Amino acid sequence: MGEHAITLQDVKLTRDHFTLGPISLSIPKGYVTAIVGPNGSGKSTLFRMTMNILKPHQGKVNVLDQQLNEQNDDELKQLIGHLPEEATTFDDFLKGFNKAQFHAKWYNNWNNDTYQRLLSSLTTRDDLQLKKMSKGMRRKFDLSIAMAHHPKLLLLDEPSSGLDPIAWKTMIEVLHQYMESEEHTILMATHIVDEVKRLADYIVFLVDGQVLGMYEKDELLQSWSMYFIEVPEGSTFDARHMPGYCEHKVVSSGFYEIICSNSFEAERWFDGQDLTVRSKQILELDEILFQHMKKARQYAK
Amino acid sequence: MRLPIGINEQSAEPLYYQIEVQLRALIISGTLQAGTMLPSIRELASQLKCSVITIKRVYSDLEAEGLLRTKQGTGTYVSQVEKESREEQKYSVVNEAIEQLIEAAQRVQCTRQQLEELLQQRLKSYES
Repeated sequence: MGEHAITLQDVKLTRDHFTLGPISLSIPKGYVTAIVGPNGSGKSTLFRMTMNILKPHQGKVNVLDQQLNEQNDDELKQLIGHLPEEATTFDDFLKGFNKAQFHAKWYNNWNNDTYQRLLSSLTTRDDLQLKKMSKGMRRKFDLSIAMAHHPKLLLLDEPSSGLDPIAWKTMIEVLHQYMESEEHTILMATHIVDEVKRLADYIVFLVDGQVLGMYEKDELLQSWSMYFIEVPEGSTFDARHMPGYCEHKVVSSGFYEIICSNSFEAERWFDGQDLTVRSKQILELDEILFQHMKKARQYAK
Repeated sequence: MRLPIGINEQSAEPLYYQIEVQLRALIISGTLQAGTMLPSIRELASQLKCSVITIKRVYSDLEAEGLLRTKQGTGTYVSQVEKESREEQKYSVVNEAIEQLIEAAQRVQCTRQQLEELLQQRLKSYES
């Protein structure tokens, strides 16, 4: 990893019902990083901290090589596009293009051609009052607004909520095009496995305010598998010796179902064992997350 | 441009390796001619549904082998592969496949004689 777009150093934020951190995390510049975790794990809090809306009680937040403070707030926001989880409601009475005009006033790099192009490739419109827009239409409009000032960093909080499959596909294409420039970075929070598969380069697991790991996507998804194994009678086979062993179930005598986090090494290990691999199944992202959570809770006990 | 590259998700072989082998074969066989511009890193990653980290690795490995070259700011192109090195590379591709064949045969405890028979049978239909 080269430069970083965002760096969190020992950041902690405490609330009555929830603690985020302490977290140390670096988001690489030029890549798409997806934050994956169950509801209430601190994803949106992390976004708000990056936007300098929330201040951590401890630690440092660096965004695009600058430490957040009062002086550089304006300057930094010029470089960031933020799509919040929920659409704003205070400006519901505005028509879309009125809101766009307002943004155009604030952002020095606002480009009207880019804005129009985004509206048309996402097939949405801005001649309606915001409250009259359908959920999908509003989402696509909000994304257009978030990208029309050519931000260097895009923060997307559940970007596809409310989009139909076709709009979803277009959104992915728009984001791929945005990432053609190596100066651009996307940090997104999502629940959707397919979205991570299509977009992300790196994956961060965030659970209960803690980072459980950051991985290269392809490597992570290829490492986790479930094997169905047959062992001859009287064998001294012990699944726990397998590389990357996580858990196993005895399905019936001599038949094991084993989950493992290091397929490559495990399959080499199988070669030297007296057993037959009956089938292999790749674990989906949500199952890998689940395994991480289980492990974290075991440690907590 | 869409490259005819397929990914086997079930295989434990690293993704970058799977793609590298296939792209190398496309260049050495001449399917991709010298001077052809390849898709951008992000574009190929999105076509193959993998991350740019993987594609970066593939492009830089093949660049080190002299099969690709990158022009700053314009893109990645297929290099001129010399005829001799093409022959050499061709055999290395086949040799690697033979290596895998032997491994597979050992895994199922196939005897030398059985393997020979299988190969003979298969070779009958080769080039006819």
